[in-house]
Amino acid sequence: MNAASLLVAYAHRFKKQVKTGFAYLLILIVSFPLASAHARELTLINGDDTRHIATASLIPQADTTFTLFDPYQGREVEMRGFEFRDFLIEQFGDIPPALHFTAWDDYDVTLSGWDDPNWFMIVEEDGEPLTLRSRGPLRLVERDYGARDINSLREFNDWVWMIRSIEARW
Amino acid sequence: MVSSNEPFEPPASVEKRSRRKRHYINWLSLSLMSFMALMLLIIYESRWVYPEIQAYFSQTGSLTGQQLATRSRAYLQRAQQTLLNEQPTSAENIEAVSLDLDLAYGLMDVSVYHQEYACTAPSILIVGSLAPRLSQGDLSAFAASGELLGPINCLTHIEMDQLDRRGVAINNFSESTRRHNQVLTYTSMIIFIMGLLFWLMHERQLRRTELATEQKLAWMKRAMRDPLTGIGNRSALHQEVLARANESLGLILVDVDFFKQYNDALGHPEGDQLLRRLANLLQKQLGPEAKLYRLGGDEFAAVLPCPNDPVLTQYCESLLSGLATEQFKHPAHPDNKCVTLSVGAVRFVAVEITFAYAYEVADKALYRVKTAGRDGWQISASA
Repeated sequence: MNAASLLVAYAHRFKKQVKTGFAYLLILIVSFPLASAHARELTLINGDDTRHIATASLIPQADTTFTLFDPYQGREVEMRGFEFRDFLIEQFGDIPPALHFTAWDDYDVTLSGWDDPNWFMIVEEDGEPLTLRSRGPLRLVERDYGARDINSLREFNDWVWMIRSIEARW
Repeated sequence: MVSSNEPFEPPASVEKRSRRKRHYINWLSLSLMSFMALMLLIIYESRWVYPEIQAYFSQTGSLTGQQLATRSRAYLQRAQQTLLNEQPTSAENIEAVSLDLDLAYGLMDVSVYHQEYACTAPSILIVGSLAPRLSQGDLSAFAASGELLGPINCLTHIEMDQLDRRGVAINNFSESTRRHNQVLTYTSMIIFIMGLLFWLMHERQLRRTELATEQKLAWMKRAMRDPLTGIGNRSALHQEVLARANESLGLILVDVDFFKQYNDALGHPEGDQLLRRLANLLQKQLGPEAKLYRLGGDEFAAVLPCPNDPVLTQYCESLLSGLATEQFKHPAHPDNKCVTLSVGAVRFVAVEITFAYAYEVADKALYRVKTAGRDGWQISASA
């Protein structure tokens, strides 16, 4: 019995499961854009000034594409985004000493040291806009993370996912 | 080229001394090296960090501080609660469920879970498909809630397994800590004892050296002293003059008149006794600044600070008047007198003339006294 006949035999035996699997797959493909329905905007807070920016409007700003090994996905990924330092200057007039991030998954953190051209705000991955499922719609990554151990996720704790708001801390 | 003035030292003695010095340095070096090794060991052990334990316990408040599986499960359970409430299919609830499912999906879809846990991929498939099926009405809220049990179980399994791994890491850490502590304790003790031992050896060597130096100094002191009278000898006189270069000094030579007859009449023990008495008398009359020496037999010398000849004259007169007061009996004196002295003196500056010349001049003065009938003093013109 060759491989093809084995595959047919298994397909016949698990007819119901195969059908269900295909159905799920079809639904996934069709519904993928629907999954991005959330997280459509980024909130920027600078003192009393609060502004909301559509995440879709940030996609055309992406002017840099690079390939990077994403330790969370365990593979090389083509990322597209823009230099975060430039974005901060554009939005806040200068680079704040610290930023307070809030993510869609309620994670929040305050980090400093953003006057660094190594940080990129990513909006697309492998040609697709980031969604919550791909830990988007906005994600901060370091373009060059040097000799850090890619098997140790704690080395990449500063990467901020699912960014919902950025507050300047002066 | 070796200077002819340097004392000859046998090669064996030099070798022995250099070997001793080498040992001395070695004990000290070994001791210091032991203590340094101990310090290095302690520093190394104190900075030792078990990397696995750091991976598990140094993450509080950071992105991976709480397990992604735990956070993902929390969103699935919240979605489940929403699905089981009274209005599960309202647009608002569907939106909330959809958001929770997406968040759960994002937190679960990481490489490490795919690699380690086979249930990850099918679970993600279910979580990803649920929202559209609900919104299209293909699935009841109750059924959707039921379907979430699989992914929740998967995430629970991941969490439990991660906890198990954490437990193993803790055990390993504990075991390693115990082992390191033992190594540190025993090694420290051994190195410390070695260091102490080397230090004691060094101390012993040091004391031996000190003792040898003390003995040598005592021997040198004895070699410079006249055993009969306790005052210095001829060698000590030379040392004294050398040590007082540039000073204006007086050299007084004293000779006991008819000392042989004294010995013949009263015996040598009495002669010795007379010499001791005379030494005391000289010291008493010339003062504490005068240094006395016995040059041999019945001849004494005194060296003392002397700025000019009149002072030297005073010293000589004081000497003879003191002797006259003491009235030491001399039964064999040819002139039926008590013990008398012949004194010759000179003033000199050690740098300007050699001591040998000063001695010669003073001796000539003494000789003149002798030839003039003894019991008197003369000083030569300053040398």
